[in-house]
Amino acid sequence: MTGLLHDARVSRGQFFRLMGGLALASAATACSTRPETTATTGGGGTTTELKFVGVSDQKAPMDKLAAAYAQATPGVRVTPSYAPTDQVQTSLRTQLGAGNAPDLHVVYPGSGSAMSMTQIAQAGLLADLSAQAWTQTIPAGFKPAFQLDGKTYLYSAGSSVIGAVYNKKVFQQAGIDAPPTTWTEFLAVCDKLKKAGVVPIALGAQTPWVTQLITYALVPSTVYAKDPTFDDKQQAGQATFAGSGWQQAFEMYLELQKRGFFNDKPNGTTFEQQTSMVATGKAAMAVQVSAVLPDFRKAASSPDDLSMFPLPGADDADSVWIPAGVVVGLGASAKGKNAEAAKAFIDFLGKQENINAWAKEIAAIPLTQDASSTIDPAVESFLPFTKDRAVPFMDQRWPNAEVQPVHFAVVQKLLAGDSTIDEALKKMDEAYRK
Amino acid sequence: MTPLTARRARPASAARPRRSATTPPWLFAAPALAVYALVVLYPAISGVVYAFTDWSGIGEDWSFVGLANFRTLLGDEQAMGSIGNTLLLTLAVVAVQNGVGLLLALGVHARLKSRALLRVVFFAPVVVSPVMVAFLWKYIYNPDPEAGLNGLLGLHVDWLGDPSVALWSIAGMVVWQYAGYSMVIFLAGLEGVPKELHEAAMIDGAGTFQRFRYVTWPLLAPAVTINLMLSTIGGLKLFDQVFAATNGGPGYATETLSTVLYKQAFVFGKFGYSTAVALVLALFVAAVSLIQVSYLRGREVSV
Repeated sequence: MTGLLHDARVSRGQFFRLMGGLALASAATACSTRPETTATTGGGGTTTELKFVGVSDQKAPMDKLAAAYAQATPGVRVTPSYAPTDQVQTSLRTQLGAGNAPDLHVVYPGSGSAMSMTQIAQAGLLADLSAQAWTQTIPAGFKPAFQLDGKTYLYSAGSSVIGAVYNKKVFQQAGIDAPPTTWTEFLAVCDKLKKAGVVPIALGAQTPWVTQLITYALVPSTVYAKDPTFDDKQQAGQATFAGSGWQQAFEMYLELQKRGFFNDKPNGTTFEQQTSMVATGKAAMAVQVSAVLPDFRKAASSPDDLSMFPLPGADDADSVWIPAGVVVGLGASAKGKNAEAAKAFIDFLGKQENINAWAKEIAAIPLTQDASSTIDPAVESFLPFTKDRAVPFMDQRWPNAEVQPVHFAVVQKLLAGDSTIDEALKKMDEAYRK
Repeated sequence: MTPLTARRARPASAARPRRSATTPPWLFAAPALAVYALVVLYPAISGVVYAFTDWSGIGEDWSFVGLANFRTLLGDEQAMGSIGNTLLLTLAVVAVQNGVGLLLALGVHARLKSRALLRVVFFAPVVVSPVMVAFLWKYIYNPDPEAGLNGLLGLHVDWLGDPSVALWSIAGMVVWQYAGYSMVIFLAGLEGVPKELHEAAMIDGAGTFQRFRYVTWPLLAPAVTINLMLSTIGGLKLFDQVFAATNGGPGYATETLSTVLYKQAFVFGKFGYSTAVALVLALFVAAVSLIQVSYLRGREVSV
């Protein structure tokens, strides 16, 4: 390399002229290609730009409503960006910690995660939305997910349910006419499917959040149907996971494994593999949250084959309860210089037509409903439950962000035969008290 | 705008004062050192303060808690378990990665026709992002007996889902990616072994193994030092591959110190405690590498 330079026959003067020419040329191109970043809207008024950082699940509805808002409100533009949940959690918490939060950002309902409404609102970083009209119509059962000390800090378009996503064609081929309505019927259906040579339940427990869904689907029947105030008692220290219906739910979970109703090696199977197993008919069903129905449909050759039914966690059909949780939402930064404009956008999202539009995109049940609300036919069988036999996803009432990851880990350990149910419940109780 | 005459005015023979060869020109390093201090040293040292607080990562509400975070660490089953996993993983990676790397280096150092191509092939995985490698290997580690590695080897192993196998599966993935890196460093060392010594040994009647043992191996010591140090540090702070492949699971079977400190900060919202874990990790890595280097340097020889 040095030899090359020494041998080159370029005098110092030639070299500098050459370099000067290059510099000039690059400066010229730089000028000509500089993008126009200072665009203003008609009339010379400046555009207020609202930054939104969200999770991938929010892309479809947010893109749509941000575009609608830009039309309705010239002068304000919402620029969204999305990333997978854990990435957003990392970057958003860093931004929040450094005091430069985006104007609008994803917020999880309730209190059980590091990006949850309660934890961020407690740090004084979320704008109070209580003055907006839509907050007056939040159903009472959902209030803990939206509110802290009586003030609303979260916007969410509705709720999703957890139940069995099933392949209707596979059920028909195995001679099953109607979804089961009791636990015994459910076990019989699984047995029938197994005899027909399909995997009854696909379980992708390698993906941590998938581990929790079967317990979440059972606990409403084994815990809350018997004691709807369990959360309050647990918060007051009068109840624990150990010795509650959680024990029964774990036993039922493991019974499914013992009877061979799961695919082989669930701990090594991912959510994507689980999805494709049901979509292609290799497995008959998967216990999942309705928000991922679009994923199952995308993977299926005939999307109409897929539907859902409530997982019956009790032997008396009347004491079957279901989990119905508020879907991931958003909040406005309390400290940003655009706080007022950000709140105005949330007020726009709170209009009934926009709640409907958002809910439709993610197959959710709209927060409040009117004549034009549509409900995905796959979740219609859940509607009779939503009035008085539904409870929010358990983590939305947990006091800290540690219980949920512990739940993931103990389920994986139980499936691996690496732990007992008593140990698992003890670990969750320890995390709850932290 | 210096007038041309000024240049001519200086006598051609007046040489500039020569810098002595022994004093390094520190001034030249100043800009780089200033940037380094600003973006590495200052944040690192100011971050240490948080290890003694209960800061949640957001908001201004925090207080000093003294050594409480370090006491929590001692009683934290999960963090302590992760230290064991980290050490096992490091041992496995260091031993296998360098063993395989050395064999590859010896192989492609030989007079093979395709050695240039083989060097590229073995080094190729190094340039792929570790996260991508982990995602690819998740497919290879599919538990289905007809898919991926199981299908290839006719096995029925739950690579990432079995708590007693998962850690070694991750080690395998890391070795696959970085063996080529060790290979390149060993190869550089092999190139530095003088041919004459081999010829002399051959004349003395040494066989292939003896020549490796008594000529190549001692002269390879500097490469061994560097490889062991780099792979040890890499192993101790392994994060990307674990995070993408298992996220510490199943259960806590593949949790490493790095994934624990990540989770404490960004999942559990315990920034103070996480910083304490990070501090322990940093000191631990520094101590291990110092001991290792001072030992390995001692056994280096030169021609």
